[in-house]
Amino acid sequence: MSAAIKIIDKVPFFGGMFRVESNELNPVNAWPSLMAMTSFVWFAIAAILGVSMPAIQFMELGSNWYYQNITLHGAAMAFPFVFQLMAAMSLHRAGACLGKRADDIFVSLFYIFMNVGALLLTVAVLLGFHVTYTVMFPLPVVGVMTGQWSMFTLVLGFTGIALVLTSMIFIYPIKILRMSFFGQIDSTLQVAERSMKDPGMIGMVMGALVLLVTGTPLMIVAGSLLLHLYGIFPAEWIGWAADAVVFEFVFYIFAHNLMEAMAIMIIGAVYSTLPLCTADGSRKLYSDKIAILALWILLITSVTSFFHHFFTMYPALPSTFAYHGNIMSFATGVGGALTIFTILATIWKHGIIPTPALFLILGGFVMYILDGVSAIVISNVAWNFKLHGTMWAGGHAMVVLIAISALWMGILYYHYPLMTNRTIDDSTARSCIKYFFISYIGLLYTFLAAGAAGMPRRNGAWESDWYIFGAFMLIFGVMLLYAFVLYFLSLRKSTALEY
Amino acid sequence: MIEFLYTNAWGAFIVLLAFQIPFLIVFFHIVNKKAFADSAPSKTKPEKYSAYRHGWTALVLVAFVVVNGASIKYMPTIVEANTAGDKNIKDVQVTALSWAFQFSESEFKVGETVRFKAKSTDTVHSFALHHPDGHLLFTMMLIPGAGTEGTLVHTFTEPGEYTVRCLEYCGIAHHAMKNTFTVN
Repeated sequence: MSAAIKIIDKVPFFGGMFRVESNELNPVNAWPSLMAMTSFVWFAIAAILGVSMPAIQFMELGSNWYYQNITLHGAAMAFPFVFQLMAAMSLHRAGACLGKRADDIFVSLFYIFMNVGALLLTVAVLLGFHVTYTVMFPLPVVGVMTGQWSMFTLVLGFTGIALVLTSMIFIYPIKILRMSFFGQIDSTLQVAERSMKDPGMIGMVMGALVLLVTGTPLMIVAGSLLLHLYGIFPAEWIGWAADAVVFEFVFYIFAHNLMEAMAIMIIGAVYSTLPLCTADGSRKLYSDKIAILALWILLITSVTSFFHHFFTMYPALPSTFAYHGNIMSFATGVGGALTIFTILATIWKHGIIPTPALFLILGGFVMYILDGVSAIVISNVAWNFKLHGTMWAGGHAMVVLIAISALWMGILYYHYPLMTNRTIDDSTARSCIKYFFISYIGLLYTFLAAGAAGMPRRNGAWESDWYIFGAFMLIFGVMLLYAFVLYFLSLRKSTALEY
Repeated sequence: MIEFLYTNAWGAFIVLLAFQIPFLIVFFHIVNKKAFADSAPSKTKPEKYSAYRHGWTALVLVAFVVVNGASIKYMPTIVEANTAGDKNIKDVQVTALSWAFQFSESEFKVGETVRFKAKSTDTVHSFALHHPDGHLLFTMMLIPGAGTEGTLVHTFTEPGEYTVRCLEYCGIAHHAMKNTFTVN
């Protein structure tokens, strides 16, 4: 029996959601199930921390709690939850479509690096390393110099971040590329054959390449700093890496493209799954060519649109880069527009079967597009100076992760019978989707309105005018938490497939 | 109207809704129709899809060009560049450090145009100016070692107490990093 199956069996509550039978499909089911289960454990912790943030303000528990929870919440949501869930589902899909194993050393190393790294970072944050999930370098070092946290917590936190980044930037992309282009096909694992001409497969490979290419400079810079902290590299070797501008740029080139890579990958997954749910059984998209064109536009335009993170540091960021970032950000909207057309034309042409899996996927797609509009609006140079650093920007980062998680959770619903030999509880799943969507809409407009009203993000002491937004954040945050509880229950209440 | 759209953050919110609401209506109409009302394959001719695709892409491109083209006049980078060499503008130095702001001046007159020159001396901060009613007039990201001061030109048009805040998280007393300007 696989080690992954043994671990799942021993985990209370969450283990029951992902119990995998021992059979010939274990190489594509066991580790992805363990990763998905673990991602939801992280979610449960992160969600409570998220809801706690407005509660901390209402109960006046102090800014230090707020900064601790915002750091833990953001880091856990983005990495061991959303990214790990994405990795789980894409490894399962790649394995079952390409006939390749998803249980080798790369997968187990990914799992260990991601979760041990996240645990180390969590311990560091609990010991006082309150840097937020965007790190804000050189704050980690300045924090030590000003006595905000200790050198030990800095080394511990950076070690954790390095492990997480290694799993995301090297281990996962290399595994996806190996599965896509190398190795022998095992026909017993190839449940639904797909070629590398398929838009879903292309999206997955593009996403993996973006992570590898845009993440490597960050690994070089962060790795140099970490080796200095360990006492291996002398200070004179790493002066270039300790430059705040160098770090901020390599960080945002990766962080921005991480979101884009996840978006390209999930759009690819939507392109794969939607045709399987068409009412006429055609199993076709409106047009594979248009779908692939949209992915290419998204890929090419998104890479250099990262400049929008730096518009407001004019003139240190020359205007020409700002305008380039502005144009490229809106150009991603052209890729988005073609994606919208492909999805809607497919639905119109072939009809759809209204299953919970498809509805959660389509709901997630709507969420992704609504968030995309908020992203391109703030990527206009004129508006960026009036919104950057407000809850608009914080809300965008949050809702894009909610949208991506909804999409992958829909994909998980679709693949759940293959992974576990069980079928989800339909009525609980439909209730989950309603609450998920309503809470998303509520959170989206609350955060954007708060930003338009001038409420700063990551501010641990709210002023009286901001509490009205905080109240809505709390209400819709609790509702979203309830939607996730329903999601868990829809898996817990799953029943064995009948053949 | 155009001035409001680009000089007030609520203008961005209005444009956001103008993009999102039509999308929501069309998306839900099509999904509802093809999932519940009539899920049979559509009899729409292929050339119609092509026409819709071209029309939709053109509409998006035109909307994006118009929205961005109309914003050029209001970009702070353009405003600042257009005022280079203007001797009537008052230069004000701003230094951000954990967790305080230092200004060379903090009292201004209505109608006065100021060129803020800002820098950070320790970690990443921002110099953000909030209108007395709370909305954000502008923010400037300040990265230490950026090589040059951030500059931005602003004209005060209303009297009142303006709040200056740091909007880039800068440590455990980040929220306390604020100050005020008085405009008479």
